[in-house]
Amino acid sequence: MKQLMLLFYGLLLSVSLSAQNKSSLSNKRQLVDIAGTVGSSRGTVAVSYVHNWKIGHQQRWEAGIGARLTSSFGIKQQYTTAPAKLARTNTTPFLIVFAGQATANWDTLTVQRPWANAVNLTANFAYNFNDVWSAGFNIDLIGFAFGRKSAAVLTSNGITRTEPAATVSHFNALLTGDLDYGNLNSEFFIKYRLNHQWAIRGLYQFLFNEYKTANIKQIAPDGTEVDRFRNKANNIGLAVAYQF
Amino acid sequence: MKKSILLLALAVAVFGACKKQQTSSIMAMDPVDTTAQLMYRGAFANGPYGTTLGVVKIYGQNNVYSLVLDSFTVSSGPDLHVYLSKEVQPLNFIDLGVLRTRSGTQVYNISGMPDFAVFKYALIHCQQFDHLFGSANLQ
Repeated sequence: MKQLMLLFYGLLLSVSLSAQNKSSLSNKRQLVDIAGTVGSSRGTVAVSYVHNWKIGHQQRWEAGIGARLTSSFGIKQQYTTAPAKLARTNTTPFLIVFAGQATANWDTLTVQRPWANAVNLTANFAYNFNDVWSAGFNIDLIGFAFGRKSAAVLTSNGITRTEPAATVSHFNALLTGDLDYGNLNSEFFIKYRLNHQWAIRGLYQFLFNEYKTANIKQIAPDGTEVDRFRNKANNIGLAVAYQF
Repeated sequence: MKKSILLLALAVAVFGACKKQQTSSIMAMDPVDTTAQLMYRGAFANGPYGTTLGVVKIYGQNNVYSLVLDSFTVSSGPDLHVYLSKEVQPLNFIDLGVLRTRSGTQVYNISGMPDFAVFKYALIHCQQFDHLFGSANLQ
């Protein structure tokens, strides 16, 4: 698994470096972006720095890296058992996204007032249809998170227990699907350029958040200690970008 | 301007989801079976947060139980729930649901057959902030 992950990150790095080697000052795109999204009893605000290189013969494609602070918050959000070997029927990297969900193994942690702030490196991709319209995708890669402790209720096999102080998972890493750790943001977007500097985006966000139980430690039948719980959120939103 | 609209929309989405408790004084639903027997009762004592007055009664018949809050009043709070709990400060509990009204007689069905020697406290608990408003020892 580690080899596949290294290969994945190696490919990302090589795309960026390849684009960088071919770049000149004119085919870079640097911007800052502030995005807001809403979902069911939740919301996020994200601030990003993006450094893309235009690639391809017509330079319609862009790829690059960046950094993003995503602050997510909500009321009574449900988090389910996070460890991949309990959450899914297959844990092969990349293929895990197609694996069945082992819902019989899931417990639910209802975090009463979650608020997580994640700082992550990002990978960014875009395609420019013309000078005005473009579409793209970005995803968090690795980073750290901090946030508010919150009371939570753990429901397991019909038994409810109070977790007085659930905490945000501090380490974030994209390892594909439920192999992921922590708090990771990803966006599909359509961008409209108002002028050379300002642009707006409409976006669909897929967000992973993770909270850990501090006082309740469950032991799964296979011996796995379970204290990580994951919330997967689908949100929509708007963003404003300023290009340097 | 756009940022303001965005922030306003986010605030409405998040805070609009916060449930407010009903405040009217009404007889709540699910009247208790008049043939059911009074099994346990207890008087509410105030928790660290808020004021709770009244009596809690557990009625049962054929292993079907109901919890009745009688002559009941509790001070205002967000997200108040009715619990049957093993402890005064709930760690292991059964959530009977959101408190329907802050005053008046009301009945809650109890699913399953809890051991009242273990779940020996009835609580009014703010779930969102983990604050205890009142507890009654069932005897």
